[in-house]
Amino acid sequence: MSNYLAAIWKCRYFWMSLVQMDLRTRYRRSALGMGWSLLHPIVMTAVLCTVFAKLWGLNIREYAPFLLVGMCFWNYISAVTTHGCQCLFQGEAYIRQYPAPMAIYPLRTMLGASVHFAIALCVVVLLTWIFNGFGNVPALFSLAPTLLLLLMMGWSMAVLAGFSTAYFPDTQHLSEVGMQILFYATPVIYPPEVLRKKGLGWIADFNPLASFIELLREPLLNGTVPGPKPYLIALLTVAIVSTAAATTLVRLQQRIIFQL
Amino acid sequence: MASINLENVGLTFSLQEHRRVALKDYVIKRLFLRSSNPVMRVPALQNINLEVHEGDRLGIIGHNGAGKSTLLKVLAGVYPPTEGRRLVNGQISSLFDLTLGFEPDASGWENMAYRGYLQGETPRTIRAKMQAIADFSELGDFLNTPVRYYSSGMTVRLAFSIATAIDPEILLIDEVLSAGDLSFQRKAGQRMQEMINKARLIVMVSHDLGGLKKFCNRAIWMDHGRVRMTGSTDDVLAAYTVKMEGITPPAPAANETPLIKLAS
Repeated sequence: MSNYLAAIWKCRYFWMSLVQMDLRTRYRRSALGMGWSLLHPIVMTAVLCTVFAKLWGLNIREYAPFLLVGMCFWNYISAVTTHGCQCLFQGEAYIRQYPAPMAIYPLRTMLGASVHFAIALCVVVLLTWIFNGFGNVPALFSLAPTLLLLLMMGWSMAVLAGFSTAYFPDTQHLSEVGMQILFYATPVIYPPEVLRKKGLGWIADFNPLASFIELLREPLLNGTVPGPKPYLIALLTVAIVSTAAATTLVRLQQRIIFQL
Repeated sequence: MASINLENVGLTFSLQEHRRVALKDYVIKRLFLRSSNPVMRVPALQNINLEVHEGDRLGIIGHNGAGKSTLLKVLAGVYPPTEGRRLVNGQISSLFDLTLGFEPDASGWENMAYRGYLQGETPRTIRAKMQAIADFSELGDFLNTPVRYYSSGMTVRLAFSIATAIDPEILLIDEVLSAGDLSFQRKAGQRMQEMINKARLIVMVSHDLGGLKKFCNRAIWMDHGRVRMTGSTDDVLAAYTVKMEGITPPAPAANETPLIKLAS
């Protein structure tokens, strides 16, 4: 385990420069640069705001930042899954020539997605402060473990997606469908209370992604430190997913080249 | 001490007759227990025993599909052996398909860094070598443009310049001697000679018998995934030439003595 991590660390310049290149090629293509990646969640937020705030009679000042947090989180999760599907094919040329640890290719995907996520979070903080006044800064520190968990989660999911795609080419399609279903089953665009009122609270309670969103929303929007329950659920989820990813790596990473 | 040791190494590819199955098909097939996509087993390497020591320059010859390149990839650690054991001491550098693995959107300079990092360089060590690589490739201002716009000759120039800028311990070469145009080929030949002199251990696959004779002190002859003959370069090449010219070859002695000892 520690040997493997050391091997990943040893080629850090390699994967870091690939992440850098991915970001640069993405931004180079657009006049807006970094703004381009923010445009999507912001436009979505603006559109959904006008629709749903009316529909449910919500206050836009509260709903807009609420929605933006949800959208940013969701963009991250769906990016690591759908881009993660391609991560091994993306690195195929390298895999065929150098026996580097396979985990660096999903890592590249995850780091790229998390840069966008981080930028978007900063926008959320700004937006909340503009709309609702200066927030509770100490509460923001409670984001640190959450972000760490999210990084682990993203890396593991990219590993699983990448390996699964190498064996089953329809993984990407299936995961896109799955993500679409999960999107509506997760309180991204609607507040979890809406579910509870209709007696569908179990959807939010049993959905681990809902816990992650709660962990992000509490400190960012309310300026409060989340309780232990969502942390535990998130930790348990990450433990399960990363164990699955680690098992996949141990069992398949040497043989994966035969599938590419 | 650089060394390579293969013990009873075998490699079997499991190929599917059709393309890979989709997950939904896989699940359905499992449910109804019917396989319409049989797996073909292709034994690419069988029972390879090989000991290469510091100072050795080993040449590998054989017809197309004999398993030469596969053997080289097993040595490099790219393919895991499905049987037997592989033990390697020393840092491996490989010159395989040179043009593979460029990032098309990145410039020549950037690709130089990526390749270097993958071969274990750090920003500090690679910076010192970048100018030398650029000079050797003679690509000048083209290095600032994305590799996407390079001609194949330019790509080979860049790839060869990068790959040979390192100081290798173990060097694995797969027929790369024919790189670029004529003037560059001469230069590349010289560079190869330098590298071969510097490396502590070399294994090269080539169809260029003259080149092998010049560079290698030992050779093995691969035939249908097995080692058919091993010995000094002259002996093996002579036997191989006789076979290739259609004369009945002498009895393959190597099959009876599986352990090939290549002491320097």
